[in-house]
Amino acid sequence: MSAKKAKLPPPAAIQPLSVDIRKLSRVGSRPGFLDYLVQLWDYRQFIFYDARARVQSGTRKDRLGSAWLLLNPVFNGLTYYFVFGLLLQTSHGIDNFVGYLVVGIFLFQFSAGAITSGARSIRNGKSVVQAFNFPRAALPLGANMREMLSAVPLILGMLLLIVIVPPAEKVSLLWLLTIPAVILQGIFNLGIGLILARVISKVHDVTHLLPFAIRAWMYGSAVFYSYERFVSDPTILAVMKFNPLFNVIDIVRSCVLYDRVPAWESWATLGVVALGALLVGFVFFWQGEETYGRD
Amino acid sequence: MGVIDASAFLDGPPCVVIDKVRMTYRVPSSDGRSSSSRRGLRGRITTLLERPNLVTVSALKEISLVVERGESVGIIGRNGSGKSTMMKLISGQVAPTHGAIYASSTPVLLGVNAALVPELSGDQNVVLGCLAMGMTREQIDARFDSIVEVSGLDSAIFLPMKTYSSGMASRLRFAIAASVNPEILLVDEALNTGDAQFNNRSKARMDELRAQAGCVFIVSHGLDTIRDMCSRVIWLDKGELIMDGPAEDTTATYKDFSSNLSRGNNLTAAGIKDEARANLVATRVLERASGRRMEGR
Repeated sequence: MSAKKAKLPPPAAIQPLSVDIRKLSRVGSRPGFLDYLVQLWDYRQFIFYDARARVQSGTRKDRLGSAWLLLNPVFNGLTYYFVFGLLLQTSHGIDNFVGYLVVGIFLFQFSAGAITSGARSIRNGKSVVQAFNFPRAALPLGANMREMLSAVPLILGMLLLIVIVPPAEKVSLLWLLTIPAVILQGIFNLGIGLILARVISKVHDVTHLLPFAIRAWMYGSAVFYSYERFVSDPTILAVMKFNPLFNVIDIVRSCVLYDRVPAWESWATLGVVALGALLVGFVFFWQGEETYGRD
Repeated sequence: MGVIDASAFLDGPPCVVIDKVRMTYRVPSSDGRSSSSRRGLRGRITTLLERPNLVTVSALKEISLVVERGESVGIIGRNGSGKSTMMKLISGQVAPTHGAIYASSTPVLLGVNAALVPELSGDQNVVLGCLAMGMTREQIDARFDSIVEVSGLDSAIFLPMKTYSSGMASRLRFAIAASVNPEILLVDEALNTGDAQFNNRSKARMDELRAQAGCVFIVSHGLDTIRDMCSRVIWLDKGELIMDGPAEDTTATYKDFSSNLSRGNNLTAAGIKDEARANLVATRVLERASGRRMEGR
């Protein structure tokens, strides 16, 4: 073709055409918030199936299979016990330090895993997002459902370790309180995962920061040390006590290790923060509904 | 260019309305002209931190179309003319940069696009894909066998999808996408791959679907296919609408254009294109006043 760019002639005419689009809906448009929640409910089978299938396939490559769901935190716990219990002696003044550590690490692992996979669900599921029209929140929901399912052996393993490893604790009715605490923790994870999923789908760089943020959060949640020993400043202490993960760990420790009824303040903080995160997460995620799956 | 004063009136509700849709992509370019000119430490640091040179690619220039029930629309054009972009826009896979697309029901794109989860087995992917399209478990159970049959995978359906050859994977994707009976059907044949046996099977299923659908969009490189299947054909070139008319006329003009192009008669070809464009009557969509604007932005 000749070097100069050929200019396309304009169309001969433009015909205005009056059409009735009342019965039509915009392709890919975002429904109202309540409609969105109803749609999500309609897709519950998709969410459950996605979660279940991926739990099973997650460890299929490993010879020990699903045992890794349990072995992983066990090894993790041993590492921390070795470093912080034996080498650094942070255990001073903590009754049953092994139990203390086990509760902290297992519960932290649940949150870290759930938030990470929730946050990455939209990016990782991009091909599914582009191929099908479904409410996008199904993906972070599915990811969290999956983590919730794999948390069941995790929690059972945690309780088992506490019963077996000396000083062994006695099982009491208070242990049942672990269930609502972990459910609230799961709700919190979902809320944060929804927020991060939208952020990461927009700014992918955040995935690189996520591990650091989670690490910092772990150090701030008294996973392997006693906060009373290191934190004396009342403001920092107040901030720490607002941390939902810290509250979950504290509640479970009180019930399981120290046979104490957890303080109502812990429940209140945890409940408010978890439900708040869920609401904010859903609204925030829903607002970006039309942007997911774009390049 | 003149604007026709009297506006035409479409009585029934249309199937698909494409209203002033534009699509641009911003993509990184490896063209290093801008960064290599920077010298010195400062320039290097800027180069390092800078995002890759982003260029704007205009895949589809402003376009408006109204498609009624019962129409089957073929889209033709050279590679990179915006055919597949158009299909992705109508199916809602990507959102237009500007404008909006309205449809009377969710359009279903039939192609090999439905990328699935590689770690899961074929049968799990069938269930997952069908659930993602909004089917219930009962419906899936009822159709599972026919999906496997269309895919022609037999017992390989129980293997993880990552062990599939690309042909097997695309057959499964097609079979899943073809398991619903959509009112608005989009067929991207340009993407179709597969052996002859599968092509026969997929063609049979496609014909079935086309017969049931309320309106159909087809992208194909086979002009004869388009002429046989479509009542109306639009010709796109470099994201511009060149021609919009009865299947016979558009395909004939396009055939003339591409045969001139392949013989190296670029000027003649450009002349044909310009003439077609100069005769085009473009549409401007007027929304009927009584209707509320559907959640537009």
